Amino acid sequence: MLTLHKAGLSTTPSLVPIDDTLRPGELLAIVGPNGAGKSTLLSMLSGYRSCEEGEVRLDGRLLQEWEIDALASRRALVAQQEPLGFDWRVEELVCLGCNPEKALIAELLDDLDLIHLAKRSALTLSGGERQRVMVARGACQILSRRSATAKDGGLLLLDEPTSALDIGQQQRLMRQLRVWAEQHQMAIVCVLHDLNLASIYADRVWLLNKGQRISHGLPNQVLSLDTIADIYAAELQLIRASPAAAPFLALRP
Amino acid sequence: MSISLSAHRHRTWLPASRAPRVLMGLTIALIIALMWGAASGALGISPWALMSGNASELSVQVWWQLRLPRLLLGVAVGAMLAGSGAAMQGLFRNPLADPTLLGLASGAGLFVALWIVLFQGSAMGSLYGQFAAGFLGALSVCVIVFGLAKRQGGSSAAVMTLLLAGLAINTLAGAGGGVLAFIANDEQLRQLSLWGMGTLTNALWRTTAIALVLISIALWMLLRSASELDLLQLGESTAHAAGLDASRLKRRVVVATSLGVGLCVALTGVIGFLGLLVPHCLRLWLGPSHRLLLPASMLGGALLLVVADTLARTLGAPAEIPVGLLTSLLGGPYFLYLLMRRSPSC
Repeated sequence: MLTLHKAGLSTTPSLVPIDDTLRPGELLAIVGPNGAGKSTLLSMLSGYRSCEEGEVRLDGRLLQEWEIDALASRRALVAQQEPLGFDWRVEELVCLGCNPEKALIAELLDDLDLIHLAKRSALTLSGGERQRVMVARGACQILSRRSATAKDGGLLLLDEPTSALDIGQQQRLMRQLRVWAEQHQMAIVCVLHDLNLASIYADRVWLLNKGQRISHGLPNQVLSLDTIADIYAAELQLIRASPAAAPFLALRP
Repeated sequence: MSISLSAHRHRTWLPASRAPRVLMGLTIALIIALMWGAASGALGISPWALMSGNASELSVQVWWQLRLPRLLLGVAVGAMLAGSGAAMQGLFRNPLADPTLLGLASGAGLFVALWIVLFQGSAMGSLYGQFAAGFLGALSVCVIVFGLAKRQGGSSAAVMTLLLAGLAINTLAGAGGGVLAFIANDEQLRQLSLWGMGTLTNALWRTTAIALVLISIALWMLLRSASELDLLQLGESTAHAAGLDASRLKRRVVVATSLGVGLCVALTGVIGFLGLLVPHCLRLWLGPSHRLLLPASMLGGALLLVVADTLARTLGAPAEIPVGLLTSLLGGPYFLYLLMRRSPSC
């Protein structure tokens, strides 16, 4: 659905051109050290920053040729947390950018364990609760605005959706992303800091460093001990519960 | 940069289905205030006498030539100040924003003061000139501020630049006003200070009619932006992905606000706190969605200014208190009260 053809950015923050294709139903994780260009890449994928080299196409059409409004029915972005100026109620916040049926709001809030917060003021939520509300809003936008003829569930772009979540909620959210990807044939791109989450839940991983995609492919290919230790300048050890299990990268004390 | 006021925890929301009733209620209150304002003053005029044709010729003259344009100007200016306050707060995602923040009001004020000092008494010193000066002032502030913000390019930096540019312009306009007051003669100084306090006494049909038309256009532009302002609350990049053309929205809101506020300042001087207080209080009651907040603020601002102006005319009759003084006297303490009871968690 989303095709990148030598797509890159030449002005700072720059991005070395990338060739790739995202398929419906796929969960892609973007990982890399601080300042690697993950958020920049995400804003290029969303069309907020137009690519300066090459091209990004959604459904075969150049991203910059889409009407802003039409594009909004095909892809949603959940940026890193923005301060809220006013006290929206959770259920009002989920409806910003779309006009969903009540059942869909309830379903999405329930998916992310938020249904008991529906009437609460968003300003009284914890950081993690608000983060989940914003993810629900993004999903709500593309699901409720999806046209009847669309073959897939659109593109959901998430910038560090788990950064404020406890491990239980991290698991719940990542599992839910998998469910949405399969159930709605949604393509999900997720910037993650936790390499183990990427390793467990992602279909594919892009590893970024200094504005360049240095490796991509299956999680256990990309997230090899040596590469990661080198790029992050961290001392790590690899733990594997069983030969079939996903590799687990842990810090050395 | 997000500053929140008051105890949000205790807000009780109004169900969205009651929106039409809220607007209806505010409209009815405004009509009642208008009837009261039309009837009261140094010369009491009974609306029944007017309608039945029993009123004296003097009463009809006073009502038609003085009171009606003044009331209508009050409605327009009140709606404009409160509506642009609500829109600015939405644009900056900050409940403390209002047209004075961007420097629009003070820029307009400086130009009008310049006009009074330079052309007072000459043929060009007419109200039209003052009015054009106010609009030009607000517009040039707009051009400067947006030129600066555009050079910054980046979206989140742009809002901060707008705020800082506004601050610089406010300081500059304040200093300019001081210089003008220093070089003005006694007559000009008196006019400057009276105008500066904010008053609706300049309401004449020829100016009010133009003000009504232009302010209606500005209000309509703001009302059209309501749901886009809601979207902007998500932050610019998320809002863009949700279908918002943020630069078009900013352009429209700032042009509408500078047109309207420039006009208001030229005609009535600076009427303080309406733009800040009315949307702020209504938001506590109605919730933050601009689709209800914007029209409600316009009605509420009109209502408040009509009531305040009628009080200003009648409290010390036949003398008149400048209405801007009254709104600031009432609004200032209330605003401090809001600041003081702000919950520490926000």
